[in-house]
Order: sequence, then C-alpha cells, then structure tokens
Amino acid sequence: MAHGLSPRYCGSRFDSIWAEFQRHMVRFENVGMRYGAGREVLRDVNFALEPGSFTFLTGPSGAGKTTLMKLVFLAERPSRGLISLFGTDLSLAKRLDLPSLRRRIGVVFQEFRLLDHLSAFDNVALPLRLSGRRPADYRRDVEELLSWVGLGERLNDKPATLSGGEQQRVAIARAVVAKPDLLLADEPTGNVDPDIGERLIRLFVELNRFGTTVMIATHDRALIESTRAREIRLVDGRVIEMRGMR
Amino acid sequence: MTVADRIERRHASILPREQGAVSLDLVIAIMAFLAALALGGVMIAERAAQSWQAGLTGRLTVQVLPEGEAAPASEVEAAVDVLRATPGVVYAGALSDADNLALVEPWLGRDAVVADLPFPRLIDVRLVPGATPDLEMLANRLRDAAPHAVLDDHGRWIDRLRSTAGVVVLGALAVLALIAIGTAASVAFATRAGLAAHREIVQLLHLMGAQDRFIARAFELHYFLAALAASVVGAALAGAAFTAAATLDQFGVAAVSFLPPLGLSAQELPWLLLVPATAAMIAWATARISVISALKKFY
Repeated sequence: MAHGLSPRYCGSRFDSIWAEFQRHMVRFENVGMRYGAGREVLRDVNFALEPGSFTFLTGPSGAGKTTLMKLVFLAERPSRGLISLFGTDLSLAKRLDLPSLRRRIGVVFQEFRLLDHLSAFDNVALPLRLSGRRPADYRRDVEELLSWVGLGERLNDKPATLSGGEQQRVAIARAVVAKPDLLLADEPTGNVDPDIGERLIRLFVELNRFGTTVMIATHDRALIESTRAREIRLVDGRVIEMRGMR
Repeated sequence: MTVADRIERRHASILPREQGAVSLDLVIAIMAFLAALALGGVMIAERAAQSWQAGLTGRLTVQVLPEGEAAPASEVEAAVDVLRATPGVVYAGALSDADNLALVEPWLGRDAVVADLPFPRLIDVRLVPGATPDLEMLANRLRDAAPHAVLDDHGRWIDRLRSTAGVVVLGALAVLALIAIGTAASVAFATRAGLAAHREIVQLLHLMGAQDRFIARAFELHYFLAALAASVVGAALAGAAFTAAATLDQFGVAAVSFLPPLGLSAQELPWLLLVPATAAMIAWATARISVISALKKFY
C-alpha cells in the first residue's frame, strides 16, 4: 500500500490516479486558499510539476504567487482542493511525516529570513545541521558554496553586516546546500546586480541539470526569456496561462 | 563567557539569548535560595525532633508533690527505693534543690523568693536501653509507697514534640512545593515569552524541516542550563547562610537553649544540591512541555 493513499482512491480508478500522483513532484487539484474569513486569494488552481522541470511562476503583485509558494513549501494548508508533494497526498499525511517532506525542499524566501545571531556560514549550514550531519562533514561544502556565491571572505560575518544582495546570496546558498529535490525561490534576483543575478540563475540551472525541480516566482521577463523554462501565470488567484507545460 | 554559555553555544546556538534572561536568572536564584532555606529548615526540624526524642526516650521522671510548703522527704526516699528495686531501672536519684532552681531559672529568675516556692521534688530515672517496664504497675507501687508521687513517662511531651516537628516539616515541604510550582510557572512564562520572541526562528526551523523535538531540545537545554546556573548560586547563598548561622555563637550571639542550632553540618550541606538539580529538571520539563504544545499549533 502506498504511503498517504487516500481511501477515496481505493477502487477501479486507483492505479491510474496513483500513477499520476507518483509521476509528479507537485500536483495541485482545484486548490483554493483564503486566510481566515477573507476572500479567496487562490481559486481553482490546477497544475503539476514534473520531476526535473524548471518553472517560472509569474503574475502581477497580489496575484497569489507567494501564497501558492507557501502551499508548496508546507507553510500553509489549502482551504480546499488536493495537493500532492513527492507523491504524497498532503490531506492524508500525518504531521510527523511533514518534516521529512520539508527537508526535501529548498526555499529562498523573498525577505531572506536569515538568523541574525548566526554567521553566514552557520546560516548556510543550518539545513545540513537539521538533517543530522556533523560540522566536520559539511564544513568544506558550505565554504565552497559561499565562495561560489561570492562570499568566501565573509564566512563569519553576521547578516546585519551584509548588504541586501549579500544577504540574498546567503539565503540562496542555504536553500541549495542540501541539494534539495525541489527548489522554490521568491524573486531571487530582485536585490542583486545583473552579473550576480546571472550567476545565481546559472546555479539554479546547474542544480536543475542534476535533477532538482525548480520553481521561481519572478517579475523579471528577461530572466524568463533567458532560460526558456516553463511558465505558470497567475492573475487574481487564478492560473490564466501555462506555457511549455503538459 | 560562562561554562554554561560555552556548552550551550556548542549545542544549541540556534537560539540567541533573549532579552530579559537576567530577570529570569534572578527569579530562579531567589527561588532556589528560598527552597534551600526551606530544605535546610526541614533537616533542622527533623534533627531537633530526633534529638529531643532521644533525650527523653529511656527516661522517666517522678514528681513528689508538695504537702504544704515542701514535698515530704520520707516519700521521696520511699519512691527512690521503689524505683531502684524495679527491674530495668539503672539509675534513680532525686534532684537537689539547687538543680530544681536551675530548672526554673530561665522562666522565674534567680530570686530569694523563688527558693521559698513550694516546688515538687523531682526524681530522675534512667532505664536500661530498650527496657519497657510495666508503667501502670510501677505507678501503683509508687502510689502505695509515696501517696504524693506522680509518674511521668514523657509520652505526652514526646507525642507533642513529634507532632510539632511533623507540622514544621510539613510546612517546610509545603513551602518547597509552592516554590517548585512558582519556579515552574516562571520558567513556563519565560519559555512562552522566549517562544514569542523567537517565533520567527522557530517558524523558520519548522519550515526547514526541523522535528519538534529538535526545536524543543534547543529550548530545553537553554532553560536547563540557565536554571542550573542560577539555582546553584541561590543554593550556595543559602548554604553560606546556614554556615554563618552555625558560627553565630562565636560572635557573641547566644543560642536559645530550647531551640535547635540553626546551622547545617558538613554532612547535611550537600543535600542542598538537590535544589539546583530539581530546579534544572523542572525548567527542562516545563520548557519541553511549553515548546511542544506551542509547536503543535503549527501546520
């Protein structure tokens, strides 16, 4: 019996539906989301991300991009509809199962969310520490990654002493250090100069080439055009366009 | 940087030391000081009860009540003879007038008038350890030989001492329990304030896939070490207070004769270490319960 299998799928349609769930990294079916008693900020959202895909999530401010990302990285529960992640139906997953799913996701938050009392090195090492690795095992990886994002000389600096762009690079390094199966980034190139932005996108593409599924929320049309990736366009909480997707 | 800070830095630096931590340390140190005083009080009360009981067990007192201005000397002699002939009695002797006056001196003073008061004559009786003479028969024989003689086996006094010591011990234990509840409440409050102050960190760790027990462990260790360090200081101060109390007579402060000495012996002082050990465990358990219950509210 597969993990997280819904009883409603036990029947003649089970095999085909379960195969669909397994095939997708992320799958939304008729998902709606409202905060409290407010209006729905996402309505009837349907899409699926295949393993190894590279997708941009676009749309004007207030379209629901950040809320959609929050549903994917398990910060919020949908008000209605079904979400499956790594083949697990989230409506049936136990709370104890969620941390292991979350550890397979790397997130670059729009507001970075670095821990102010930790150095750049310790911030980047946090996901590795959470997965139980010892400092001696990951020291070199973290130092290399920070050098790659241009912060090799600032390993011991606290976030407060870094510029906005440098903080963003630390946040990106933290999101990718554990080589996640799914990488989500909310406006990752918003605060960096074009050279660094290009370098970061190369990092995402490289990770994607090695199998990481990537979804980036952005306004940057030039960025979208440069990668020719798939695109999901949201307007007023609805998916109005899906380019390059099956 | 203290040893506690170093251990914490190595194992739980995920949490910064929040503002207001000094206030919690102070509260815990004061609680530990009071708890150690109460625990020392329990030990002193128990020790006093045991020593009072040991002093009175194995002894009897016979009073020969005065007839007119003085107790009849012939009855005193007769009572002593009866007592000396009783199996199990190793000593029976009447107290002299000087001994009698010395006994009442703390209450009545040393005055010529006091000596003229009609006091009963007291006969001190010591028994063979473990001897249990038939007191009813002894009282009858005494009454036959000396009609004004009254036998006192101190039973009522010992029972009163026992119940008084029991009340003191229970009172001190109640104080200890209240202090434990107060400490738990303070730590719970501080943990919740800490959780609120570090909500962003806790939420981030949660979203990055940290198990509840990982986050809880960081808080547990944080409050365990803080409580341990603060309560060691409180208990050490209480230990110093008891040590100082034991040396009061060297500074001319006279001890009250019927009260036990207020100091703790070198064998008793280490028991005060129970206070920091318990305080640290209370802090650990309270922090764990508070954090786990708060984390359960997260998706």
